[in-house]
Amino acid sequence: MDYEKLLNLAAELGYQLMFSGAEIYRVEESMHRLLEAYGLERPEIFAIPNCVIVSAVTPEGHLLTRMRRVPGHGTDIELLERCNALCRQLCAQTPPPETVQLLTLPEQTRRYSPRQVLLGYGMAPAFFAPLFGGGWQDAASAFFCGLGVGACLLYGGRFLGRNSFFRTAVCSAVASLLVQLLAGLGLGESIDTVTISVLMVLVPGVALTSAMREIMAGDTISALSRTADAILTAAAIALGTAAGLALGQLA
Amino acid sequence: MTAFLQAYAIPCACAFLACVGFTLVFNIHGVGKLIAGVGGALGWLIYLLLGQSIFASFLAAAAIGLFAEVMARVRLCPVTGYLLVALLPLVPGGGIYHAMRYCVEGDTARFLSTLLQTLGSASALAVGAMLASSLFRSVFPHFHWSGK
Repeated sequence: MDYEKLLNLAAELGYQLMFSGAEIYRVEESMHRLLEAYGLERPEIFAIPNCVIVSAVTPEGHLLTRMRRVPGHGTDIELLERCNALCRQLCAQTPPPETVQLLTLPEQTRRYSPRQVLLGYGMAPAFFAPLFGGGWQDAASAFFCGLGVGACLLYGGRFLGRNSFFRTAVCSAVASLLVQLLAGLGLGESIDTVTISVLMVLVPGVALTSAMREIMAGDTISALSRTADAILTAAAIALGTAAGLALGQLA
Repeated sequence: MTAFLQAYAIPCACAFLACVGFTLVFNIHGVGKLIAGVGGALGWLIYLLLGQSIFASFLAAAAIGLFAEVMARVRLCPVTGYLLVALLPLVPGGGIYHAMRYCVEGDTARFLSTLLQTLGSASALAVGAMLASSLFRSVFPHFHWSGK
């Protein structure tokens, strides 16, 4: 058994899991189970939201360590489910590590086309507007503004960079300006309702939910970093929207 | 009947569709879309029935947590996606917005009270879903990690 390849496989699996938005305990537990299934005793695994470290001693007494940095990422549930299923299959069958096709997993994963994702960004705010007391006009306005924000998020990466605070702030400002523009053109009755509906696609619900799941699992460091992420995102939304409102009132 | 429709059925349908919209963003396919949508509608129904308070969002989150855990066991899938999407309608986006408005207007008293209210409902969400998940796991420990 080539333990270096095995460790590499485990690190890669952890990376993919983390990249798809899995919780820390899921990453650590999956890697742990994988290594134990292949007969490594007491592997040590440490994961925080942007780093995975795995270390083990082979039966011959060699010390092996592999570390993998995880860049900023979104949430990809389909990839997460695939990784989970693959991990379970590997643990049950333990095929030789070099035959496992893990690197091609992201390409094999089904994805929605950018147009469908854009539709999602429009659909969510459109149906949030009635929840927050808006009429059908507000819903229509929220739909178009949601499309605008979605386009910023999907295609604006090149101009906005990788800084998520700045990106969220700019998207909120765009949302707020679009809402005011459409209201000025006569679509949408309540600027507040429409803005809130559109902001729901930027709101840090994911960070909040992940943070609480980390706390539940006892990973306090990761929980704190995700909580900080949620608070920063909320601050970015407030800042961006305030800037958008101020700009709109100038015009 | 129409009153019931307007008060509960239409908002729940909207919550369902909004959550389905989010499943496109988070790349959830197949039955998962339906589960996430139903979870969102269920949460919103409970939130409405209990009067849209912080306590209501606590119980709604608990219900969503329970529903997501059960569905994850049934489908042998990670619970993450369902929970994430179904909780989104309850996240206090309005609170962030109004707090920002009061802050910019210099209305410190209302800013602070809205901010605290927002923090309160965000924590209620987190604690509610957390409690339901933990309870479920301690009652059915053999189902840990998707029945593996």
